[in-house]
Amino acid sequence: MKRYDVAVAGAGPAGTTAALRLAQKGLNVLLVERGEAPGAKNMFGGMLPNCPVVDELLPDFWEQAPWERHVVKRVLTIIAESSATSIAFEGKTFDKPPYNGYTLFRPIFDKWYAGKAREAGATLLTGCLVENLLQEGNWVSGIRIGRDNGEVKAHVTVASDGVLSLLAQKAGLCNAPKPSDVALGVKALFRLKEEDINERFNLVRRQGASQEFLGCTEGIRGGGFIYTQTETLSVGLVVHLDSLKRSGIAPYDLFARFLSLDEVKQMVRGARLVEYSAHLLPEGGYRMVPRLFTNGLLLTGDAAALCYTNGLNQEGMNLAITSGFLAAETIADAFQKGDFSSKQLSLYEARLKESFVLRDMKTFERAVGLMHNDRLFSVYPNLVGTIMEEMFRSDGKPRRRIGRVGWSALKEAVPIRQAISDALAGGKSLI
Amino acid sequence: MIIDEIFELVSYNVHEEAHIRVNRDACQKCAHRACTFACPVSCYEWNEERGRIDFAYEPCLECGTCLIVCDAGALEWNYPKGGFGVRYRLT
Repeated sequence: MKRYDVAVAGAGPAGTTAALRLAQKGLNVLLVERGEAPGAKNMFGGMLPNCPVVDELLPDFWEQAPWERHVVKRVLTIIAESSATSIAFEGKTFDKPPYNGYTLFRPIFDKWYAGKAREAGATLLTGCLVENLLQEGNWVSGIRIGRDNGEVKAHVTVASDGVLSLLAQKAGLCNAPKPSDVALGVKALFRLKEEDINERFNLVRRQGASQEFLGCTEGIRGGGFIYTQTETLSVGLVVHLDSLKRSGIAPYDLFARFLSLDEVKQMVRGARLVEYSAHLLPEGGYRMVPRLFTNGLLLTGDAAALCYTNGLNQEGMNLAITSGFLAAETIADAFQKGDFSSKQLSLYEARLKESFVLRDMKTFERAVGLMHNDRLFSVYPNLVGTIMEEMFRSDGKPRRRIGRVGWSALKEAVPIRQAISDALAGGKSLI
Repeated sequence: MIIDEIFELVSYNVHEEAHIRVNRDACQKCAHRACTFACPVSCYEWNEERGRIDFAYEPCLECGTCLIVCDAGALEWNYPKGGFGVRYRLT
């Protein structure tokens, strides 16, 4: 039987951050990854928002890290039956370091990052599944791995095993997620010349763009996205699983129809499809966050459901990194005291609550309700289309004032009481 | 369609043993058969002739959708053994 101070299950951003920080503090850490290399199981195709703790981990983190483009442009496109309305934000300050967010490939980034943990002294075991937790009474005393007789003892275990977190379930900290708590993401990677990407999205140098699409999911709660990497586009859909289940629509069929929308087609024209992928995302917000600790165990990243969207921000990877960092700080303190009890480890939750991680999730706690409102994904996108179309249409008929146009389109689309209650709910959750 | 070319688009190291087991008796009571359309690579198919679910684990992307949409408790769901299963190259 092997012994480590700390065992970390999963070499994603949360687990690797924890392992790196703990190794830097001089602890004997094992980092276990089931993929043949870190990142091999990951289909991330979004943006890593700027995340200040990385500067404490590695000087010149962003100079060293393999990222693709820094995102300066965010576009929201609302698809209606016969129109598309876009809002584009271009941040001038986002074009100067420290950049506001980065697109990257996880099979490359995770491998590099886990290498840093290794350089700091952590032991990295790849191609190895953590099959279970070792439990003695109500203490977690290590992990069982699918190799070398299996038992690894550790004073503290960090479960960074992703959204399904079979380990958190085995520890009794949460149940399997419900369909209403998760979303399915499907994504295709398209190869395209760098200059074509720059031209289509109006970018120069290593500037990047993201484009989100609303109203493109045939009434299923969810949305579409395009993110620019250097020479590729990540194009995909994210749909709530309960809503998908009710629809009876297959995600790949929905995706094929998304790819055939004019607004998407013009961006991927001539590009070569090189990979397809799918994964689940925690979508339950603050309410879904389980108890984050027990005797000898902490949960981080997606395993702790630290991931949220409020409609404009979609954040996960920065929350994962920060949670891994704060888990490591807590564990280092626990080693100083020689106390690995649930009481001592509860300081982790306190740290998360002080940090932006749980504060942001709490701030947008009610946005989850808004994101589960079916009308946001069909009725309201079409309403936007109707209003914009009438405002711009020239057909010899006298124009009406904008308020009039909006009021009559709204009355047509949805009962007024419903609209008022949606507006109030939306206002409360975001404003 | 994308999923028809899945083995050209995605790299796998397929283990000889399936990592997910389907209890077909439990499937008989299921009215929605959500696994047959919600799985993003269509691993599950209803076989009308034999009156049962056909399941292929090889193209599985290990996302867990089937596990979450199944309310009949028909799946014994595990990740593939270490180093096996899907291996994304870029994505």
